[in-house]
Amino acid sequence: MSLRKSTMWLVLLALLVFALVPTLIAAEPVTIRVLNYLDASSPGAAREITDVWQKFEADNPDILVIREDQFGEPFHHKTEAYAAAGKLPEVIYVWPGGRSATLHQKKLLKDITPLLGDERNEFIDAALEPQAGGYLAMVPIGLTASHAMYVNTALLKELGLEMPKTYADLKAMVAPLRAAGKDCIIVGAQDDWVMQSVLYSMIFGRIVGDQKLYDFLDGKAKFTDKVFVDSLKFYEQLFKDGVINRNAMQTPYGEAPALFAAGRAPFMIDGDWRAGAFLTDESTGEALIPPEKQKDIVMTVFPAIPGEINHGTSSIVPAVGYAMSAQVKPGSPEEKAAWRLISWLNSAEVQKVRLETGAAFPTRKGVTSDKLEPLAQERAEFYGRIGGTHVLDDKIPPEICIPLNIGLQEIGLGLATPVEVARSVQAAYNDWARSNK
Amino acid sequence: MKTHRTKAEERHAYLLMVLPAVLIYFAVVAFPMIFSLWISVSDYSGGQIFGGSTPVRFAGFSNYVRMWNDRYFWISLKNNVYIVLLSVFGQIPLGFILAYALYRNMIRAKGFFQTVIYLPCVISSVIVGILWQTIFSPYGPVTEIMQYFIPGWQNTMLSNPRTAIVPVLLVMLWYYTGTYFIIFLANLQKIDKEVIEAAKIDGATEWQSLRHVILPALSGVIVTSSILAISGSLKSFDLIFAMTGGNPARRTSVLALYMYDTAFRGAPNYPRANAVSTFMMAFSFLLIIITKLVEKKFGGREE
Repeated sequence: MSLRKSTMWLVLLALLVFALVPTLIAAEPVTIRVLNYLDASSPGAAREITDVWQKFEADNPDILVIREDQFGEPFHHKTEAYAAAGKLPEVIYVWPGGRSATLHQKKLLKDITPLLGDERNEFIDAALEPQAGGYLAMVPIGLTASHAMYVNTALLKELGLEMPKTYADLKAMVAPLRAAGKDCIIVGAQDDWVMQSVLYSMIFGRIVGDQKLYDFLDGKAKFTDKVFVDSLKFYEQLFKDGVINRNAMQTPYGEAPALFAAGRAPFMIDGDWRAGAFLTDESTGEALIPPEKQKDIVMTVFPAIPGEINHGTSSIVPAVGYAMSAQVKPGSPEEKAAWRLISWLNSAEVQKVRLETGAAFPTRKGVTSDKLEPLAQERAEFYGRIGGTHVLDDKIPPEICIPLNIGLQEIGLGLATPVEVARSVQAAYNDWARSNK
Repeated sequence: MKTHRTKAEERHAYLLMVLPAVLIYFAVVAFPMIFSLWISVSDYSGGQIFGGSTPVRFAGFSNYVRMWNDRYFWISLKNNVYIVLLSVFGQIPLGFILAYALYRNMIRAKGFFQTVIYLPCVISSVIVGILWQTIFSPYGPVTEIMQYFIPGWQNTMLSNPRTAIVPVLLVMLWYYTGTYFIIFLANLQKIDKEVIEAAKIDGATEWQSLRHVILPALSGVIVTSSILAISGSLKSFDLIFAMTGGNPARRTSVLALYMYDTAFRGAPNYPRANAVSTFMMAFSFLLIIITKLVEKKFGGREE
């Protein structure tokens, strides 16, 4: 073979290699599975898909994201099933405690402190508190007030009523509202976590307080103590006074925003995240409450409760975030890919999207937007007006919280007294304390 | 000698032929049942079962005792019994009556009614659950219609512990009757019309031909439908999960939902969930045995 021919073959071979190598690399992207929490019916869902997930996939062709979207109870059940099977996805949406307690307490999530490095300085301090496992498993994508009282001021004005400052004011509204064919407060509490999370945690914080909560959990106080029973008695009084209709317990969670938007009641109690349900859906251009009417909606907290020790507080928790499965090997391509995705999901760009869609209030310093609808703006200002106590299911182990959740429904339905529920919660605590000695 | 060898060969051939079915049965039915039984008496708390960091140990029957002492277990069991009763004494008779009416040409537009009665069965149970959840909601159509006739009427059906299960039972009646309707209609069409005609010529009334000709001929179908109804009722999950999630305050829960909640909700307890599933299995067997005994005593001569 002549030198010329050999050179030609070599050049051809080199060209072939250069052509094939990128193809081969591109053909084998790193695959990561994600268990994501997404309310597909929320107005911000379309933008979440396009501006967050599809953008990441377009910008990172070397990573194949297999995403599973779940919402509500099925999400939590799926999480527990994955945990039980020892097959958690590489990236998973988690709560700081409460419903994700299994993942934290069994150390199924990776400590992300080394991966986060100096980037931690970009976040507010509250976001960097260790979660239920005692270490930092995720950076929350937002802060959450699990209790917010949405007020339709236009409806109040129309009915000649004023914003209530005390519980007595609120109670006095029940009769005129009933005469007008309205309910007082809408709560979609068919699911048993709702009352505890969006209402009772606030009542507990106001009447009992965080310190006493730690005393209960440390065994220094009992759930049968007067102060706890009193907080349950106040909760019971809401139903007796007709401030909350017993029908709340058969109202589906997803139905409440539509009822409130339709003017069935001047007040709705839900988490701050529900503000997103009223904003404009960019995919359809429609909103449950159009922007021009959103100025009539005020976000506040429940009025002053008799005997409260904390005033004007809501129940607040560092919100959810994205964590990495502890099974992902350190230094592996999967870890790098998963961390790139988590970093993106915590980025200023994504937090800005979520601020605009009302999905979450940013935990990164300095994230803001000039495209906020009036209610999203109202939500951003809401946090500056309130103090915070703990959300109970974030601190109380599920073994104790479940009897409390069911007990709150039973009190609401008149099936159990506060004393009976307090006893059953204490009994659950005793069992939990025995098995965790 | 030759006969012996033939019999042995036959036995080998027989064993060889049933082996795949036996293996499949063991893998997908017997093994999970035995495994579930074992988990129910262990302290398994999730993760790797064999060779995991926490060895799984025998825990006695404590999970059965805890299950037995849990009032929500009894609420769920009671609801399941209601569903079994509704299925056996509601869906099956109603399905039969509708099928009989169509078979005996007591109703016009047979095709239309056949489609309408069976239609709910082809809709996803989750869709049916959400649909009826909206219908029975305190702000839903049922409330609006009732308030039109009785101003100020409050819809407390689902929030009253005594009636909470009623809407669920009504939906189940509506949803599943079509299945039994089709089963009965298909089997009625197998009965020789000449036999019924002969009974008529002999002077039998409609009731007498039903009592002495048709029902005995369908006794096997009735037993099979009852077994299907009982086992199906004990498995009830999807429709209730979508419609009420077992709430309010677990008053519409059933055993399958109670088991699911125990296994996957809040604080997962797999051994106790498996104790519930073992109980469900035993309870199902018991009800089916009772059905077979009833059939043996009162059943007709299905030919």
